[in-house]
Amino acid sequence: MNHISADEVRAAILFRLQGRLTAMGIDTQNVPDDFDLLTEGVIDSQGVVEMIAAVEQGFHTQIELEDLDPEDITVIGPLCRYVAERATFNADLQTPVGKSKLA
Amino acid sequence: MLHSGFLQSSERYTDRPAVEVAGQSLSYGELRSRAASLAATLQQQSPPGGLPLTAVFAYRSATAFAGVLASLFRGHAYVPLNRTFPVDRTRTMLFRSDCNEIIVDHDSATQIEEVLQGIGKRLLVLMPEHKNVEEFREKLSDHIVLGADDLSPAETCDLSRVSPDCMAYLLFTSGSTAIPKGVAVAQRNVMHFVEVMVNRYGITEQDRFSQTFDMTFDLSAFDMFVAWERGACLCCPTKKTMFNPSRFIQSGQLTVWFSVPSVAGLMKRLGVLKPNYYPTLRWSLFCGEALPVEVAEAWADAAPNSQLENLYGPTELTIACTLYRWNRQTSPKDCLHGVVPIGEPYPGMDVLVVNEALAEVAPGEEGELLMTGPQLTLGYWQDPEKTAKAYVIPPAKTAVYYRTGDRVRRPFGGNPLVYCGRLDHQIKILGHRLELGEVEAVLRQEAGVESVAALGWPLTPGGVAGVVAFIAGASIDAEALRIKLQEKLPGYAIPREIHLLPELPVNINGKVDRRALQTRLEGTA
Repeated sequence: MNHISADEVRAAILFRLQGRLTAMGIDTQNVPDDFDLLTEGVIDSQGVVEMIAAVEQGFHTQIELEDLDPEDITVIGPLCRYVAERATFNADLQTPVGKSKLA
Repeated sequence: MLHSGFLQSSERYTDRPAVEVAGQSLSYGELRSRAASLAATLQQQSPPGGLPLTAVFAYRSATAFAGVLASLFRGHAYVPLNRTFPVDRTRTMLFRSDCNEIIVDHDSATQIEEVLQGIGKRLLVLMPEHKNVEEFREKLSDHIVLGADDLSPAETCDLSRVSPDCMAYLLFTSGSTAIPKGVAVAQRNVMHFVEVMVNRYGITEQDRFSQTFDMTFDLSAFDMFVAWERGACLCCPTKKTMFNPSRFIQSGQLTVWFSVPSVAGLMKRLGVLKPNYYPTLRWSLFCGEALPVEVAEAWADAAPNSQLENLYGPTELTIACTLYRWNRQTSPKDCLHGVVPIGEPYPGMDVLVVNEALAEVAPGEEGELLMTGPQLTLGYWQDPEKTAKAYVIPPAKTAVYYRTGDRVRRPFGGNPLVYCGRLDHQIKILGHRLELGEVEAVLRQEAGVESVAALGWPLTPGGVAGVVAFIAGASIDAEALRIKLQEKLPGYAIPREIHLLPELPVNINGKVDRRALQTRLEGTA
């Protein structure tokens, strides 16, 4: 099992949103830590769901967000760090694994 | 009058909290005083004449709530405007409402110059959160601009008496053209609704309500007027908190939850609907779109001390007009296509399920839902043509019924009303009504292409999560177009994807073949 770094999560999310960010004139290499995908109009609530689902699929993990400050849920830095702290990549099992509070 | 309940609560519970918003708590006494001061200022300074309407351009702020009450105190209907909407849309709403006065909160003020551009009349612009309004006086020289220092004392407010037939609010909903249509809702409509709700739910001053809905969404009227009728507290989260309201419910000790099912669906997805997470809730209410069974079940487990109800109703029938109480044991057999029934009509409301000739269908058959009763609204604002189409007298009836455009199953053998879908191209996204025709009209304007189609997509257990567009033409910059659409359409209506095709498929009648486009989406999902 490998740990996922916040940078890897960040790269995955920004890659997914690349087209939209570029059209808005934002360089994906220079997105600040406090960039809020929601208030900047990059994603909406459905976009949050899709983004989480994509990260889960991409890293074969399961993420629960109950401990993440709701204000940080769409802010790139805190979101990526939160996901990285709780998710563990398990390429061999190819099944969801998480370190968060699973029921 | 609609605000009588608030006034009585402000006498009985003067020091209890009426609203918690933007990090501050306002008692009933304080909120009354703020509203009365705004109302007095408008009464004394507004140019004479004009329609009895006040626009409230404020968003999740103390001024938003005080502004609504101020409009009612002075005998006006309120017209909610929303700075998260495109400015063009806000301007259209303001223009169509024909208001002479507008209350603006601090954060909405940045848009006011643009909103008033070309409005063509002199307005009173009241900015109670701005101490210094000199800059705005210069920019808005055609208008009367008043700030915090110009407010009249609350004691000078003359509480106006209005007839129950007068309008309480004017709300704009999606139309099939690019122009939103206004629904005129009377005081008596809302008063009937509030009376039904406070009695059914036994609301007291100890209750704490969620306030999840923007004021441009009529379900917000439930939150405000049902809570204030009995001295309860309204807890208004920030828009972002709505993405994960788990902590908001827990630390806010909420007792009444009311939201669109999508919020609960999102919470389920984020893993925060676990058994007994929300023990303080005693009522869990959902409205605005179809409620999936799996969401109802998860929520009922997460809020085990609450009764869960699914409410249904278009704006034209005042907030909600049918409801269904979820029962863990017996409800699953009542459900159709995985969604919770819409139940029974409110007391006094009459249901008719009809075929295309507006004749009643047999029990158990499907048809269009028509309703009438004390919550039947006044019609579309300054649009007799659209009103005549939707507010009709069916054959063999004498009363006017509203045609909901919703397909339902007529109850039989004690079964509840069940929602089966739409008869037209209207969809719901996060509870917001959206005519796909409106999106298509804007697409045509902005892309300069006639052959366009908008579809609800992706599909969810309760309906659709968004909208996607198809445009005939390969030379269009889809992302640039998407950005242009942001200036015309609210966020939920902007296509998540724009597919460019050489030409759109057509059916035998030469119309765009929506089924073929749907199949195409299913193939790529």
